[in-house]
Amino acid sequence: MPDFTPFFVSGLATAATYVLSAVGIVVLYRASGVVNFSQGALGALAAFVSWSIVENGGPAPLAWCAGILVSTVLAFLYGRVLAPRLAFSDPVMRAVATLSVALILLGFMGYVWGELPRRLRLPTDTISFELIGVRITATRAVAFALAVLATVAVMVFLARSRLGLQMRALANNRDLSALLGVRVLRADGYAWIISGSLAGVSGILLADLQRLSGQTLTFAVIPAISAAVIGRFSSLPATVAGGVAIGVCEALLTPVPVVGPFRTAVPFIFAVAALLWMQRRFTFVYR
Amino acid sequence: MFTGERDVTDQTLAYSPLVDAKRVRLKRVAAVVVALAIVVVLPEILSNYWLRTFISVTALAIGSLSVSLLFAQLGMVSLAQYGLLGVGGWFALRISHGLGVPFELALLTGGVVAAAFGLVVGLPALRMRGLYLAIITLMMAGAIQVLISAFGFPDGGAGILGKSTGARIMMARPQLAATDEAYFRYAMVVLALCYGVVFLHMRGRPGRAWAMIRRSEVCALAGGVHIVAYKVWAFTLSGFLAGIAGGLLAGGVGQLDGSAFPASQSIMLFALTIVGGAYSWMGPIIAGLMLRAFPALLNDLGVDGNIATIVFGAGLLHALITAPQGIAGQLQEAAVALRKRFFGSSGAIR
Amino acid sequence: MRWKTALCTLAAMSFAAIMSGGQAQAAENAKCGLSNGKAAAGDPIIIGGIVSVTGPDNFSSSGLAAAAYFKCLNANGGINGRPVKYLMQDDAWNPEQSSQLAAKLIRDQGAVALVGNMSFVDCGANQGIYEKEDIMVIAGVGVPRDCFFQKNYAPTNAGPRVSNTKAIMDLAATYPGKIKRIVCIAPNIPNVGEWSCTGAVSWIKKQGGDGKIITFDPGSLDATSLVLEAMAFKPDAVSVGTPKGMAVPIFAAAEEQGLADKLHWTGPASLYNLDFPRAIGKYWDGKVTVDMELKAADANTPDMNNWLAVMDQYGQKSDPRDTFSQAGYLAARVTAETLLKMDPAKIDRKSVTAALRSVKRFESDILCAPWYVGDGPRHNANHTGPVAQVKDGKLLPKGQCIDAQDPELDDVRAYEKTIGISN
Repeated sequence: MPDFTPFFVSGLATAATYVLSAVGIVVLYRASGVVNFSQGALGALAAFVSWSIVENGGPAPLAWCAGILVSTVLAFLYGRVLAPRLAFSDPVMRAVATLSVALILLGFMGYVWGELPRRLRLPTDTISFELIGVRITATRAVAFALAVLATVAVMVFLARSRLGLQMRALANNRDLSALLGVRVLRADGYAWIISGSLAGVSGILLADLQRLSGQTLTFAVIPAISAAVIGRFSSLPATVAGGVAIGVCEALLTPVPVVGPFRTAVPFIFAVAALLWMQRRFTFVYR
Repeated sequence: MFTGERDVTDQTLAYSPLVDAKRVRLKRVAAVVVALAIVVVLPEILSNYWLRTFISVTALAIGSLSVSLLFAQLGMVSLAQYGLLGVGGWFALRISHGLGVPFELALLTGGVVAAAFGLVVGLPALRMRGLYLAIITLMMAGAIQVLISAFGFPDGGAGILGKSTGARIMMARPQLAATDEAYFRYAMVVLALCYGVVFLHMRGRPGRAWAMIRRSEVCALAGGVHIVAYKVWAFTLSGFLAGIAGGLLAGGVGQLDGSAFPASQSIMLFALTIVGGAYSWMGPIIAGLMLRAFPALLNDLGVDGNIATIVFGAGLLHALITAPQGIAGQLQEAAVALRKRFFGSSGAIR
Repeated sequence: MRWKTALCTLAAMSFAAIMSGGQAQAAENAKCGLSNGKAAAGDPIIIGGIVSVTGPDNFSSSGLAAAAYFKCLNANGGINGRPVKYLMQDDAWNPEQSSQLAAKLIRDQGAVALVGNMSFVDCGANQGIYEKEDIMVIAGVGVPRDCFFQKNYAPTNAGPRVSNTKAIMDLAATYPGKIKRIVCIAPNIPNVGEWSCTGAVSWIKKQGGDGKIITFDPGSLDATSLVLEAMAFKPDAVSVGTPKGMAVPIFAAAEEQGLADKLHWTGPASLYNLDFPRAIGKYWDGKVTVDMELKAADANTPDMNNWLAVMDQYGQKSDPRDTFSQAGYLAARVTAETLLKMDPAKIDRKSVTAALRSVKRFESDILCAPWYVGDGPRHNANHTGPVAQVKDGKLLPKGQCIDAQDPELDDVRAYEKTIGISN
């Protein structure tokens, strides 16, 4: 029986980045009805921008801010300029449209930075402490704290602020909310800003914890989507639980013989299981 | 969760068969003549580089056909089709190496096994559609990727996985088509057969049933359509086509690479099918050309391959926002416009 | 685009700084072929090369070195007056594209041989066409198993399996009796992962120890989990048998856990790059050994200096000067020297293949042992090389050459006896 404690601790940090990304996806979907497949690509772009600034001698904090700013602005622009043009098409088509953003960013990052071996270094990497026999870098602790903080902040924002109220109204019924005077595009815009900045934070952390690669970070959206599926694209607590479960399970399976090599399938299995569970009663999809 | 009222731009409304009874015979004859001319002439004039590229184009056109079948006929998004291509290729290779059967049999086995996988992928579609179906198929593509990258493709060895410990063995091509020219012709004939199967379905009972399901499941049910059977059949057929495409690809190169079937390729295949135009017969061929010939052209010109990805992304965005019929639709519009200009307002050749 | 330029400049500058020592020694003129200083102007001889530029990693330095050598050759009389037209193509890590390019080079362009190939997918995808057209590939760098198991493919490098074995053998020799349990980490790429580690593991088992192979999905590399998984085996040594890009996070994760002093770390030649010590950081100074398939770049021996001179005078500043570049240079040199012995009017694919197959002994001070092609059913001529240690931001060679004791090489050794390479 292998010792699972270190895997558990290391999995928590990865899980935290999934949670950050997934919370962004859920907030955006609730407000605007768009499932953003480009969440990972936006994060990758943020990480590359930060890396470039640091590599060219820029101060690190400025680099992170710039990275997050880039992903936020890009998300906002897409949400304000392109997404409204698809507002009346199928939810699938709106989601597929974000795939095109992911493709464009993927090609762009491949062209400019290539897939050379890189890793984003954060100053917190060198600080570490010991917890139940496992050495933990401050970056991992920060990732975990940020995930908790972001989730709580978003939940409070949705529950208490006027904008949050409008977003919840939009989630319930878009047309009715618009009729009642909710400024749909404005609320949408804020939702894109929140999800874009969360994507940036998650991307930068993941580029440090795993590696800085356009392909890897872009497809890190899959575990995040899985977590959002577990939260049915509406419940934040369920999403968080899903993200943590996926990240931790993936790490815990590492030392298990036979199934270990297949541990990357964990997000898929979770999502498929969640979807099937949700649809367990036979219903026709009336349209 | 999804309100049907908002689906104003439902593409299914715009789809009407472009069949004009009077012109149909002439058109058919012309199409057959053109197709034969392409099959005979094209392999002769292409260089070996383009010959191999076009073998891939043909295989990918079949793959795209399997996507467009689900999308245009049933309005369902499957993001797992390229994974099914890999499944078909895997079993075609395994059968070909293990039993030394003729190529056709290996190809069909690959198709049948991929059809079974397609059925499994399609099972959730009985209970969900739209966004959740897209996501669940994407997850399945990811799971197939994990399996393929863990097992690799058979290369002539013993055991269940068929991994060789000595020299790698290449998949035998059909006896009729050992050279690249002949194999390209062979692939085009297979493509034509696949189109034939799809057209037969569209014209017949399944096509009508699919159209009803696409419009409204309630209507279809009221109309006595066996929804479950026809949905399952669509996914099975589409898996079969994907499997055939995978087998053709394996025969073209002689082997397949485990790293070549990531979930991202399934996304790309779907995206390019939309860009090419899922509602037209030309769409899959255009998608195949864009997926394989366009990057090959860029490579031949020495342009960075990442540019192709950017162009694909932009193309998808453009198709979704302004050209839901894709390139095929735009070409047809252009053709109609031209005809109007030259033959008067009716647009028909008299 | 600006970033790209800036990056290139940065890389070139840091590289120039590292290499300034080597350049000083390589000031003399590059010698290639006839070395007569006359530009060749006859009918060109077509030679192709397939490398991977775009994709998960830029894997082309072997082709770049071959290109530089042929450029030098053409400026120095070519092949008895005929210049070599070297066509280097990018397969983008895509087997289909690789097979299209092979058809283009061999059938459309009529290449007489392929030289300096460096790709993960080329060997597998193109084995069929190479055998069918009976064209010889003098590869720079072969990685997957296929590259060492076909009649028409002869790489000048040793391959990851031999390299991993040597890395572990060196550690066992340095710390006698201390290395009992090893872990070998590799990406789960079919025909690369397991295979590349099996040599090292079977060697340690033969010595009475035990070994474990850990393969991971390169698409989702969680380095910390990987390192923890390795530690669960309680190893005395770990070989990080991955491409350099994936090794960097693995070493970083090991650093996080403070593992450098608890056990010994090593890796195959894929890590051998002058930039590697800087990439993994100061923490690892003196604590990592890296296998070398060929001798060190700063050995200051005649052929080594000639390689550097060729790269300086005919290559780009940004071309890497790593093991793979040496391998590409050697591949180009052996091909050129073979062609020079032929009648320039009778150079075609058939005669070139026959001439290359009859290369039974090729010597260079870059290689530890003589290299050969021969007419055996497979080629793995390079299986002897030194090992380097990371020290003061550099990779310092540790001394003598090590011959990999991998049982899989038995047939290769038996063949060597028949052609008189070893006894």
